[in-house]
Parts: sequence; C-alpha cells; structure tokens
Amino acid sequence: MTRFRRTHAIALAIGLLALLGGVGTAWAWLVNPVTPVAHEVRDLWYKAVGVTMFFFVLAEGILLVAVLKFRAKPGVAPATFHENIKLELVWTAIPALAMVILAGPAFSTLKYLETVPKSDLTIEIVGHQWFWEYRYPGQGIVFANEPLVIPANKIVAADVTSIDVVHSWFMPEFGVKMDANPGRVNHTWFQVERPGTYRGQCAELCGVLHGDMLITVQVVTPEEFERWIEQKKKGA
Amino acid sequence: MEAGTLTRPHAGVHAEHKAGLRSTILDWLLTTDHKKIGVMYIWLAFSFFAIAGVFALVMRAQLSAPGLHVLRPDVYNQIMSLHGTFMIFFWTIPIMAGIGNYVVPIQIGARDMAFPRVNAFSFWLLIPAGLLMLSGLWLQGGAAAAGWTGYPPLTDRQYSPGPGVDLWILGLHLAGMASILGAINFVVTILNLRAPGMTMMKMPMLCWNVLITQSIILVATPVLAGALTMLLTDRMFGTGFFHPSAGGDPVLWQHLFWFYSHPAVYIMVLPGMGFVSQILPAFSSKRLFGYKGMVLATAGIGFIGFLVWGHHMFATGMDPGLRRFFSFASMVIAVPTGIKIWSWLATVWGGSIRFRTPMLYGLGFIALFTIGGITGVWLALVPFDVQVHDTYFVVAHLHYVLFGGSLMSIFAGIYYWFPKMSGRMYNEFWGKVQFWLVFIGMNLTFMPMHMAGMLGMPRRIYTYQPQFTIWNQIASVGAAVLGVAMLIFTINMLYSLARGKRAPADPWDHDEFNKTLEWKVSSPPPAENFHTLPVIR
Repeated sequence: MTRFRRTHAIALAIGLLALLGGVGTAWAWLVNPVTPVAHEVRDLWYKAVGVTMFFFVLAEGILLVAVLKFRAKPGVAPATFHENIKLELVWTAIPALAMVILAGPAFSTLKYLETVPKSDLTIEIVGHQWFWEYRYPGQGIVFANEPLVIPANKIVAADVTSIDVVHSWFMPEFGVKMDANPGRVNHTWFQVERPGTYRGQCAELCGVLHGDMLITVQVVTPEEFERWIEQKKKGA
Repeated sequence: MEAGTLTRPHAGVHAEHKAGLRSTILDWLLTTDHKKIGVMYIWLAFSFFAIAGVFALVMRAQLSAPGLHVLRPDVYNQIMSLHGTFMIFFWTIPIMAGIGNYVVPIQIGARDMAFPRVNAFSFWLLIPAGLLMLSGLWLQGGAAAAGWTGYPPLTDRQYSPGPGVDLWILGLHLAGMASILGAINFVVTILNLRAPGMTMMKMPMLCWNVLITQSIILVATPVLAGALTMLLTDRMFGTGFFHPSAGGDPVLWQHLFWFYSHPAVYIMVLPGMGFVSQILPAFSSKRLFGYKGMVLATAGIGFIGFLVWGHHMFATGMDPGLRRFFSFASMVIAVPTGIKIWSWLATVWGGSIRFRTPMLYGLGFIALFTIGGITGVWLALVPFDVQVHDTYFVVAHLHYVLFGGSLMSIFAGIYYWFPKMSGRMYNEFWGKVQFWLVFIGMNLTFMPMHMAGMLGMPRRIYTYQPQFTIWNQIASVGAAVLGVAMLIFTINMLYSLARGKRAPADPWDHDEFNKTLEWKVSSPPPAENFHTLPVIR
C-alpha cells in the first residue's frame, strides 16, 4: 500500500514538473514581434509571467509538498488548526497588491497601443465572407483577395469594418487584432520594422470558410512601395 | 426539543413497495423525490457529456493534421458549436444541479426540495431542450454553426437561413427555464428548509456554494433569455435589435450574452468548489480551513463576476474607460479566487491524507484550476488579451478552468457520493487509473493549445496552417487518452452499479466534525431521508 502511495506521489511530481516545463517553453513562443506595439505586448507578458509565476510556484509547490509529506501514517495524528486571521489577511492583501502593481504596466501599454499616432499612410480594411478588401483612400486604390502591401517603418493607420458578419483582422507578429463589425469602424495602427511577408488570418468565427480567411501582408521598402502604388494605379 | 419528534408516519412507505418493471418505470417517470431527480439529472448529463465528448474527439481527429477532410467545414462548425453548447448547458450545469439536488437537501436536514413538482419539471425540460438542439443535425441546413456564443449577424436569418439557429435558441430557452426554476427552488430550499439548529453559518460549505451559484443564475439567466428572445424576433419577425441596417448593433448581443455567460463560468465552477471543499477536509482528517473567509470569498466571486463581462470583448473596439474598468475588475477577481486556493492548501497541510479517488480528483482540481487562474490574470491585461483573444490560447485557458476546474470537481463529487447514491462501492484501482489518465490526458490535450494560440492559431477553424501542426498533434493524442479514460470510467461505474460491494452509511470513515448529514443515513438514504428530522447543536 505504501509503495502504491509513493508511486502516486512520484507521478504527481512528474506531472507538475511537466506542467512547469510546458509553461516554461511557452516563454519562447509569443511569436516574433515586428512592431513597437508587439514588442510592448511581449514585454508586458514577461512582466505578467514574472508576477504570477511567484504565486503559481508557491501554490503548486505547497500542494506538492503537502501530498508528499502528509500521507496518512498510523500513529501520526492530523493537525487541528482551521483558521488564522493574520494568515488570511496576508494572502488576501499580497495578491491584491500584486494586481495593483501589474495594472501599472498593463494600463501604460494599453494607452500606447490605443493612441493612433500621426500616420504616414491610412488604409481601410473591410471584411467579407470570406476574403479581405483593402482600400487606400489617399491613393485611390481598392482591391480584394490579394496581399496587403505597406511600406516598412512607416506608421500605418487602419480603419477596420465589415460588410456582412463580424470578422477580426489578426496579424500575430504585429500585435494587432481588431474586430471588423458591420455598422462600426474601428481604428488601429502598426509600424512594421522589417520588410518581409507576414501572415495572419481572421480571428472571429464568420461562417463556413472562416478557417480559410487568410491574411498576407507584404512589407516593402518605401521606394518599392511607391513603385507598387504607381503600378497599381495604372493597372486599375 | 420539539423538532426532534417530527416523525412522519408514512416515511419509508415507498421503499417497502414491491415494484414490478412497469411500476418501477412509472415510479421514475412520475417521481418528485429529490434523490431520484438528482440521479436522473446525473444520468442525463452523462449521456449529453458522451455526445459532446464524441464531438470533441471527432474535432481532434479532424485537427490531427492540417488539411484533413474528416469533417466538411460546415459540419465542423456545427459539431464545434454543439460541443460547446452541450458541455456547458447540458453537462456541467445540469450535473452540478443533479449532485446538488441529491446532496443539498440531505445536508441541510430537509426531506426534499421546497417545490418537488417544480423540481421534476426543471429536470424534464432538459430532455426536449437537448433533443431540439441536436435535431438540427438531421435537418436541411444543419444544426447551429455559430459557436456556443451565437454572435449575430452570423446567426441572422440572412447568414444562417436553416432552422438550426432557431432550434438552438429554443433549446437554450428551455434549458434556461429549467435553470431559473431550479434556482428558485434551491434558494427557497436552502433559506427555509434547514433543520432546527442548522444556522446559515453551520451549513456545510457545499450548501453555501450552491446557494451563491443559484443566486447568480437567478440574476443572470433571465438576461440570456431576453437576449435570445431578441435574436429570435430578429430572425422570425423582422425586428432589428442586432441589425446595423435597422439601427441595431451586433455588439449589443455580445454585451447581453457575456453579461450572462461570464457569471456562467462561476455557475459552472462554484458548485464544484463546494464538492472539493467537502472532499479535501474529509480525506485529510481536518476541518475546512477558514470557513468564514471561504463564504465571503465565494460571495465576492459571485458579485464581482457580474462586473467583468467586458473582458470577452476587448477586441471589439470598446470605450477606453470601460476597457480599463473591465480589465481591473477581472484582475481583482483573482483575489477571492486566491483566498479559496490558499484555504484549500491550508486545509490539506498537516493533515492525514488518504489518497482515495475523490481525493485525487480534489487535489488534481487545485493543481489544474490554478493554471487556469494564472492565465486568467494574463487575459485580464488588455494588450495581452488582444494578442491571444479568439486564439487557441483562450481555448486552453477555458479548458483549464472548465475541464481542470469544473470537470475534475464533478468527477471528485461523483466518486465521493457514488456509494451514497447507489449503495455500492466503485472499483478503487480502476478509479485511480482513470484519474491518472484524465490528469495526464488533460494536460497533453490542453497545454499545447497555449503554444498554438501564442503562435497565432485562431480558434474555431476547421483546418490550420502547417506551423501549428506539432501542437495540434500532441493535443489529439491527449484527447485519445481522455477518450480511453472515459471508457474505463463508464465500465467501472456500470459494473459497480450492478456488482459493486455494498456500501455502508459512511464508506469514507469521516471524522465526526466532517460528517455531514448524508453520511449519517443509510446508503442510499431512505425515502424522505430521515425517519426523524435531525436537530443540529
């Protein structure tokens, strides 16, 4: 019987270690940020992990130790304590304090990503079942079902809406997710640091082919962007 | 005391009735006995759980590699929507109502619920509710396919023309009605039918959790019913509550829906916390630590739970001030939740722990629910939430709360009260094997979803881009392990119902201070529970 219990304890320990390992690997996986907003989001996440890991390790650690240490043994009587006001105040106050501390960076990051700076380029993103339409009102360009093309290192402001159901324009590496609601226009912005091809997809269930509503963004140098605009105008 | 002599001459008459098959069936169909209704709730909920679980396994088969064609995209969306709706409305909520129905009246020393016929009516509403919703699968246009959240305009007639969404609405209406009636019944029962001397602060913790849960249902569920009615009239009678072209707003639905559905998370987890609050002390041979603090924390969770619905909507383009309010309120709710976790740990600490299956599930609940709580704090931070909102990260988070939390506690409760309800013992060895398969399978299934979500995999997609493959494959293996675990559970329980060892009144050898009233009556308890109403000192 003892051997049986020990196996349990060992299995539980392995399980918890695996969990910790899983959470640990998650560190590496918050995509590769390529905009200032995405960098801020990842930094905020690191802070959140830092604050919450303390409580996580404490709780799971106490659980593990308790499971290993307090198995029923003949002749060992259980403790009888069942309240301790001081202790209860401490474990109310400290997490509350931690939440207030965490709210600081959370709100400042929020302020940063909410404030759309003076933009170099304004585009409109319109969700359809099941493709994206892009408009460049300043340049008089409209197209759909093709990659969005934007210049690197320029501030792009985007107005997001939908023609039919709710969609969501989601570019993980940009730190951008904005719902496209019919009858409303939402505003977001991004400034992509490196040229390249980036992929995302619709993040709000929008019907049968929701899973196929992909997004491709080509980020090019400003010169290439000018050339592309000229070409697009001629083509249209 | 007067109350000690409240004996009913006819108590026990039913038990002596010699029943043929026909009268047994009639007895169950017509019963108003809270124990029988509780048992029927449990059977029904497990049946729906099996259906919704098979849906989950089929989805994991479809997602075991990118580009598979196990399910057509439209069928995937139906299966996914029904999985969510059934797991919530036809498994978690009813099974907790079922266990509560069985245990709470006995724990407070009552002979039955306050309104036994209403109780039976609540139960019988659930069968047509579930069948209505499922029936869409065989009709033209299929079942509802807009997720368990049913956001318009996708659920409008224009984009969901078939009867699926109408059946979904009507099914939810019936289930909601069952819930509201049940809530009235529970609240009245707990407030009025407690045995002499059973003051509120002497009630077992489970009764507090059920009381608070049912109060939440009483406030929140009518709001869902209202929103569903608006959606139905939009579809049927051409109103425009959620139509932008008619001056309505789809985001209004989201507000109303989440005003119900966030508290619904607590509806689904607080009763389970009650089970765990009974089980951890019982198998540690200690009193529950910080009873008063636990009661306050539970009430606090119930109240703050109504102030956080907006955190489901951070990406909708919400007012900045509101975003900050909902964000901070969502962080604050971690504090009472934390109080409960610390108190359970303090309960176990220093005890003499007996590792029976219910205890394993209780401890597993703490380990897993804590993870859901931690990711919940992350999700309260708007910028991080926007990054992972509507991705598999949220799927992972909600399953750590509802599988790691609710389901683990439900299994703890089922194993704990199975001997009481059936009068027989389950097989302990297979119970433990099943626990470990669930614990490992659960983490294999849902931990990798965190990674997929952080890499940018949206939820509710019928296939995915190749970079998410490895995480999905691990999840699919985990789901298979869970499937095996549930088979073992089914066989163990069915076999034990027929052949299990007879259970004594108190199969767990509770210490006197942990021995709630249900362990002082026979297993199963007699009709009307007590020959003489107990008096609590």
